[in-house]
Amino acid sequence: MRAFTYTEPGTVTEAVAALAAAGPGARFLAGGTTLYDLMKLGVEAPAAVVDVHRIAGLATIDTSGPAELVFGGGARMADVAEDPVLLRDYPALAESLAKAASQQLRTMATVGGNLLQRTRCAYFRGGRPFACNKREPGSGCAAREGLDRGHAVLGISDACIATYPGDWAIALIAFDAVVDVLGPAGERTVPLAQLHVEPGEHPEREHTLAPGELILRIRVPTTGTGRGSTYHKIRDRESYAFALTSAAAAVALDADGTVTDARLALGGVATVPWRAAEAERSLVGQPLSPDASRRAGEIVFADAVVGTSNGYKIELGIRTVVDALRIAGERATQ
Amino acid sequence: MAVPNQAVPTTVAGSVPAAFQVNDRLVELDLDPRESLLDVLRERLGMTGTKKGCDHGQCGACTVHIDGRRVVSCLTPAVQVRGTTVTTIEGVAGPDRELHPLQQAFIDNDALQCGYCTPGQIMSGLACIAEGHADTDDRAREYLSGNLCRCGAYEGIIAAVRGCSAQGTAEEVSG
Amino acid sequence: MTAIPPTLRTERVDARDKVTGAVRYGTDRVPPGLLHAALAVATIAKGRVTSTDTAAAEAVPGVRLVLTRAGEGELASAGFLLGGGYGFQSLQPLMDDRIAYRGQPIAIVVADTPVAATEAAALVTATYETEQVSLDLDAEGVEVVEQAATLPPMFADLVAGDAEGTLADCDVRVEGTYDLPVQHQNPMELIGCVAEWEGDDLVVHEGSQNSGAIRHGLAAQLGIDAERIQVISPYVGGGFGQKNSLQPGTALAAIAARRTGRPVKLVSTRMQVFHNASFRPASRHRVVIGADRDGTMRAAVHEVDQQTSRHDLYPGSYTEITARLYGIPNFRGHQRLVRTDVQTPGYMRAPYEHPAAFAFESTVDDLAHQLGLDPVAMRLANDSTADPITGQPFSSRHVTECLRRGAERFGWERRTHEPGSMRAADGTRIGWGVALGAYKGAAVPAVARITASSDGGLRVEVGGHEMGQGIRTAVARTVALDLGVPAADISVVVGDTRSVPQHLTAGSWGTAGALPAVGAALGELRKALGLAADGPADVAAAVAATGQANVEVEATYTAPGQPPEIVLDRLRRGLPAAGGPVYPGFTAFSFVAHFVEVRIEPVIGRIRVPRVVSVADCGRVASPVTAASQLRGGVVWGIGAALREASEVDPRYGGFLNADLAEYTIPVNADIGDIDVDFIDVPDPLLNDIGVKGLGEVSMVGVAGAIGNAIFHATGKRFRHLPIRLDDLLG
Repeated sequence: MRAFTYTEPGTVTEAVAALAAAGPGARFLAGGTTLYDLMKLGVEAPAAVVDVHRIAGLATIDTSGPAELVFGGGARMADVAEDPVLLRDYPALAESLAKAASQQLRTMATVGGNLLQRTRCAYFRGGRPFACNKREPGSGCAAREGLDRGHAVLGISDACIATYPGDWAIALIAFDAVVDVLGPAGERTVPLAQLHVEPGEHPEREHTLAPGELILRIRVPTTGTGRGSTYHKIRDRESYAFALTSAAAAVALDADGTVTDARLALGGVATVPWRAAEAERSLVGQPLSPDASRRAGEIVFADAVVGTSNGYKIELGIRTVVDALRIAGERATQ
Repeated sequence: MAVPNQAVPTTVAGSVPAAFQVNDRLVELDLDPRESLLDVLRERLGMTGTKKGCDHGQCGACTVHIDGRRVVSCLTPAVQVRGTTVTTIEGVAGPDRELHPLQQAFIDNDALQCGYCTPGQIMSGLACIAEGHADTDDRAREYLSGNLCRCGAYEGIIAAVRGCSAQGTAEEVSG
Repeated sequence: MTAIPPTLRTERVDARDKVTGAVRYGTDRVPPGLLHAALAVATIAKGRVTSTDTAAAEAVPGVRLVLTRAGEGELASAGFLLGGGYGFQSLQPLMDDRIAYRGQPIAIVVADTPVAATEAAALVTATYETEQVSLDLDAEGVEVVEQAATLPPMFADLVAGDAEGTLADCDVRVEGTYDLPVQHQNPMELIGCVAEWEGDDLVVHEGSQNSGAIRHGLAAQLGIDAERIQVISPYVGGGFGQKNSLQPGTALAAIAARRTGRPVKLVSTRMQVFHNASFRPASRHRVVIGADRDGTMRAAVHEVDQQTSRHDLYPGSYTEITARLYGIPNFRGHQRLVRTDVQTPGYMRAPYEHPAAFAFESTVDDLAHQLGLDPVAMRLANDSTADPITGQPFSSRHVTECLRRGAERFGWERRTHEPGSMRAADGTRIGWGVALGAYKGAAVPAVARITASSDGGLRVEVGGHEMGQGIRTAVARTVALDLGVPAADISVVVGDTRSVPQHLTAGSWGTAGALPAVGAALGELRKALGLAADGPADVAAAVAATGQANVEVEATYTAPGQPPEIVLDRLRRGLPAAGGPVYPGFTAFSFVAHFVEVRIEPVIGRIRVPRVVSVADCGRVASPVTAASQLRGGVVWGIGAALREASEVDPRYGGFLNADLAEYTIPVNADIGDIDVDFIDVPDPLLNDIGVKGLGEVSMVGVAGAIGNAIFHATGKRFRHLPIRLDDLLG
C-alpha cells in the first residue's frame, strides 16, 4: 500500500475543505470496507485520505417523518438494517442491507459509502497482469473474452462488463431515493437514478459526483407500496456472497388484487443499479400472476447481451423477478 | 470510554499518535495510517489470539469488538480505533481466567477443530447474542456466516451460541 | 441439531487454549527484532524473467532486503515429496529465470514492518519472455503420461479378472464420464513461517503437517546438517493436505533471516496460497459397470486422466477405492497423468477418493435406477468380504452395517423410487440419495517417548501433528485410560522436531501411527516401573520408588509387513514411509455410508442440503467427541465440493482467477443443516493393537456422490461434473 497523508476532520464542512486542500487523488474514508480493501490490493492508491467515519451528525437515521426516510451517509449498514420502520414498512430496504456481506462488514460500512462500492470483477481487483479499462483506462477488458459467469448482461459496453456489486442501491433505486451531497461548490441533490453511470467508453468513471463531493444523506420518499416489498438475492452460497442475480420488488394491490403500483430493480446483472421501469408499467393495471411476472422479467432482459458463461443470468434473472414479485405480492396482501 | 477521542485536525504525513484501550490495557502508539488493526494487535502488541485468514474481510478470523460491536480488524485501519475500546479474544475470559459461558459452550459442544477460526467465531458469537440475532437456529446461522470454518464445525458453533443465548448470558458479553 | 450424548463428552485437551486464543500457531510468534517479508510474484503464465527492477522497492523506507535470485550455493531444490524429496514440488523459486506458472515468486522483500514489505513487494517489476501454455486436460500442448509405465509398481493399474470380457457378457451396462474441477484446500491459517538463526542453528516456526520434511528439506536446500535445524509446529490452523511438505517460502525466509541477521516472518497472502502451494488437480473419470438383471455387479472399468505439472508427476490412486467398494470380481483401473503449466498439484482431503467415489457411485446409482432397484438394497447385495484385487480378506469391513444403520436413522424406507416423486406442499422437489465411501487403512512408523515424573507428571512425545483432528486428545485419552490418570495431567508434545522424529501427518494415519507407538511405550513404562501389565497404576509412586525424579521410556511402531529398519530410517530422514492398504494376509480400508436429503426450491432452484446421516466404520473410535466432529467436518467438505467449490482458470493468463475466499466459495454456516453421525465402533483386529482405522479422509468420501444421487432423485437429471450449481438446474 502506498503511503498517504491522513486527516480526520471534525465536521463535514472541514472534511470537504480538507479533501479539496489535499488535491487530486484524495479520497474520503468511511467504513473502509471497499477503499481500504482496494488499497491493500494496490488497486486504489490515494495520496491523501480524509477520514469521515465518525463525524458527528453524519450517522443520523430518521424514519419517523411523513414525507421521507432520511439516512445519514455515515449511518452503518447494520444499524439501518434494523430500523423498525424499515423492517415493518420497507422490508426490501432492510433486506438489501441484511443480505449484504457479513454482520461485521455491515457494522463497519456506511450506507453512503456502500452506494459507491466498486465492482468485484476479478480482473479489476486482481491488478497486474489483467487488462481492465476501469482500473487502467485504455488497457482493455479481460472479462469480455474471459471468465464472465459473474458479469453483467445489461448496461455493458465494449470497454467493460463489470457488475455493480451492491444490494442497497438496488432497493433504493426502486423507491426513487435521492442523495444529498456536499462539495466545494456547496450542497446539491442527485437522484439515485442519476448517481451511477454505465461504463460506455469510460468505465473508470462510475458516478456523477464531482471530485470532493461527500454523500451527506440519502432520502427516500415514503410510500405505502413499501409494505409489499422484498429484496430477493440469489447467490452461490446461502450467505456472505455477492448476487448472481437480485431483485428489489414492491407492489401495491387494490381489493381485487390488481396491481396499482409496481417497483422493480435488479442487481447482479447490470453495470449499474438497474431500474426496470418498463417492466413496472407492464404489471400495473392487471392481476399479479406468475405469467405477468414472467413477462415483466422478460421485458427486463429483452436487450440483454450475454458473453461466454453468463447467459444463465437471463433465465435466472427472470425467475428472480417472478419469485420476488410473488413474495412482494404476498406481503402486500397481508 | 477509557480514553478521550483524539481527532487529528491537521494533515499527518508520517505517523499518527494514538491512544486506545485493548481489553484492560491502555495502548499508546504512533501508527502508520496504513497499518491494519489486525497487524497492530498481532505484530506490535503481540496479541496473537486474533487471526489472519484472508486479510480482506472475507473470512472473519480477525473479528474483534470496537466499543462492543463486531468488526473485522483486517479492514480496520488502526488509526480509526483511536479513543475506542477494542475487545479481543484475550479479553473475553474473566480476571481469574475463568471462561466466559460462550467459551465453555464451545468446549462442551466441540465447536472447534483446528481452532484457528475459533477466536473470531467466539467474538462473532458474543456479538450475535448481544445483537439479538441468536434467537433461532436459522438466524444464528445467517448472522454467523461471516465467520468461515474450514474444519466444518458449524453445527457445534450453532449449538454453542444458541445454548448460550438461551441461557441469557448476553448481558455478560464484553464491550 | 445433534447433541453429543453425555457419555461421549470428553473435551479436547487443548480446547481451553483454543477458546481463549492462547494457542500459538506458527506465525503467532513475534520474537524481538522481527522483520517482515513479502513475496513479489510472476505475472505471466510461463516463460523467463529477462530483467527485474528492484530500485523502487529498495527505496521504500524500512526495506532491508530485496532478493531476486539466491546466491551461488545458497539454495537448492528440496525435491518433490513424491519423487524422493521434501517439497510440495521440485521447483524452487529464485534459483533461475524460469517461470513455470503465474504467481511463482520472483523476489522476496524484507522490511521493518508488514506494510513496508507489502508495498515494496508490489513495486518489484520484471520483464519477461512468454511461452505458450497448456492449462487444462483438453488444452493443446499437454503431455499425456501413462502412469503404470512411468511410475513405481505401487501406481500400476489395478486389475482383477477380465473386466472388458465380462462387460460384453453382462445383461446391463452403464457408463458415464465425469469431470472434477481444480479445488483448493484453503485451510484458514495462511501458509507462513518465522525463521530465526541462533548462531549456525536455524529454528523455524511454521504450521505444518510435516515438520520432519521441513527440517530435512531445509537441510538439503541450505546445505547444512539437519541436526542444526529445528521445526516447531505444535498446532496447525488446518492443513487438509496443503501443508504436507516443505513450502517454497520457508527457505527464502531462512535465507533472508541469515542475510539480515534478524528473525524473519513470511506470511503468504491468500492469493499466493492459491498459487504457491498444492491443490486438488482436475480429473476426468470414465466408469463402466456391467451387471446382471438382479443387480449383481460383475465387471467394472474405471479410467482416470489427472492433471499434473510440467516439472513433477503427481500420481493418481483413484481406483484404489473403487476396486474395493463392492465385490466386483472383474475390475480394471487405469490412470494417466496430463502435464499442464501449473504448480504441482497434490493432496487435498480425500484427494483421490472423493472424485473417484463421485464418479463411481453416480454410475452405481444409474445402474440401480435402470434396473428399478432400491439403491441401498442393491448396494447391500453387492457387499464383499474379500478384497477383489488381492483375494485377501479385509481386516474389517462393516459396509452392510453402515448401510443398514444409516438407512434406519435416515428413514430410507419412506423413500419413493421414481425421480421427482417426492415433493413438499410448496412444490419444493425433494431427493434422497445414498453413496458409499472408502479410504485405505494406512499406517506409518512412529516413535513415542514417555517421561514419567515422581510428582505425577506424564509427558508424552510422539510423531504427529495437531491440525484439528484431535491427535493430542486421542493420545492423552489413550494414556489416561491405560494408566487410570486424568487426561489433564498428561502433556502431549507433537509436531516438534526437538522431540522424536516427525512423520508426515496425513492420509488419516496420524492416530493409527501415534497410538500404537504410545501403546508400546506404555508397555515399556510398565516394565521399567515394575507395574502390572494393565489396570490403573500409581505411576508417581513407582517413579519415586526408583529413586529417580524421572523415568523415560521410548518405543517404536512400524506397520505390519513393513521392514522396520527401512521405514524407521526413512522416518528419521523426514521421508514418507506409509504402508497399506495391502498388508501381508489382509487388506485394510475404512468405510462410510452417507444418506443425503436435498431440497430444490421451486422457481429459482437453489439446492439445499437440510440433513445428512453418515455412519462410519473406522475401527475403534479412539476419541468419540473429536471423531464425531471430524465426520461432520468431512460432510461439510463434501457439501462444498458437490455444490460450491471450483478454482477457475483463464487460459490467457494462467494461474487461478477466483483466488480469494469471497470468490472461491467454501460453505458458510448458513449452508449447513443437520448432520447426524454414527459409528460402528468395532475394533479392527489386524491393522494395529488398538483397533483403530482412519477417519478424517473417509468422512468426506461419497458425500458428493450421495448429493448428486439425491439431485437425480429430485429432478431426474444426472450431473456428471462438480460443482452442481443453480445454473445447471435452469435448463
